[in-house]
Amino acid sequence: MTVSEQDELLLNAYLDGELDAMEAARFEQRIASDPALIGQLNTRKALSAALRSDLDEDLPPPDLRRRILAGLGEGGRSGDKAPWRAMAASFLIGALLAGTASLGLLRSSPSPGIADAIVSAHIRALMAPQPIDVASSDHHTVKPWFNGKIAFAPVVEDLAADGFPLAGARIDVIGLEPTATLVYRHGNHVISLTEMPRAGAVPSSLTAARGYNVLAWSDGKIGYWAVSDTATDELRNFVSKFQAASAGP
Amino acid sequence: MSVDDTSDKARFAEVFLPHLVDAYRLARWLSGSRADAEDIVQEASLRAFKSIRTFSGGNPRAWALTIVRNTSYSWLAKNRPSAVVLTGDLGAAAEERLERADASDPAPTPEAALIAKAEAAEVRQAVAELPVPFREILVLREIHELDYRAISEIAQVPIGTVMSRLARARRLLIATLQRGEP
Repeated sequence: MTVSEQDELLLNAYLDGELDAMEAARFEQRIASDPALIGQLNTRKALSAALRSDLDEDLPPPDLRRRILAGLGEGGRSGDKAPWRAMAASFLIGALLAGTASLGLLRSSPSPGIADAIVSAHIRALMAPQPIDVASSDHHTVKPWFNGKIAFAPVVEDLAADGFPLAGARIDVIGLEPTATLVYRHGNHVISLTEMPRAGAVPSSLTAARGYNVLAWSDGKIGYWAVSDTATDELRNFVSKFQAASAGP
Repeated sequence: MSVDDTSDKARFAEVFLPHLVDAYRLARWLSGSRADAEDIVQEASLRAFKSIRTFSGGNPRAWALTIVRNTSYSWLAKNRPSAVVLTGDLGAAAEERLERADASDPAPTPEAALIAKAEAAEVRQAVAELPVPFREILVLREIHELDYRAISEIAQVPIGTVMSRLARARRLLIATLQRGEP
């Protein structure tokens, strides 16, 4: 049973949600009294359903993402041969299981297993659609969000006035322990600041792993790790601003 | 590794990678094969990475799909030059099939029931027979559920063309599937 070409376009537009409310209402009235239109509408609905029927199986192979990231290392800009992102996921698992650093990456780090896992968590977060679980620049929102999720009260500061606006926070699991990670933005860069209650166990240090700088320090109660791909000076600047703000007035 | 390079990768991971499933599906429907889709998505990823700085913060999904669509076209032109129709004409065989379908004038209810029963492989085969310019519009609408405006931007044709190609693609698929054979 055929309909006019004009009606066919209208039928499609109706089905595709492209009609405004008035047009749609008017068209629905016409459909109700026109079996040819009803038939064409149902046929098109069946077609949509048939086309979408195997979407759940229509997925890329699980390692495509890894291969793409590895390919960027080879085909990307010169000077970059390391498929570093490709290893991020296995890296984190490895660090958690072994509890030790991947050899040679963090030679000078005092607590390489942790720094490694923290860098991995940062990389993992950048690969996710959003590097944060809670998006807020308000430390009055972020701080209570951690309640009940981790076993201590993290220090939360917004450093927007210093050029490091707080973007939000997430929970990272480091060495099987949930930790508080604050996420700051600085230009195009993301800074992850992970806090763990490890009093005094964190000597101040600067290490580099896979293109990321990691600055660690402790305030006697909490150990801090700041991770970013931003320049070393910028990261030092961030840390000093954070320390100044958390030291209070 | 330079700082710029690292931040390009972070940006690529933020903008392009979340749409990998969409990218793969579009490439698979356009190329008709899983293996070819992987090649196309890999190539599209590299293109996206190289031009990540030109992404100015619009809709990242549409941006990613545009790159995949363009890569699919160039990939098909290079690797399947004879098998693929890249023009906007439906072709004589398809036109004839449409005319026959219109002439046979089947009752509406059995039509819908037949299509609902179609196997996924049968549906893919029917879609594969559409010329690519019709196929891409159908897929962007049915699989990616984009609106006409977004489709017109990705496929780089006016909205009127989106509508007419979508109408013909659907009509042709219905004609093919209700017959049970191409």
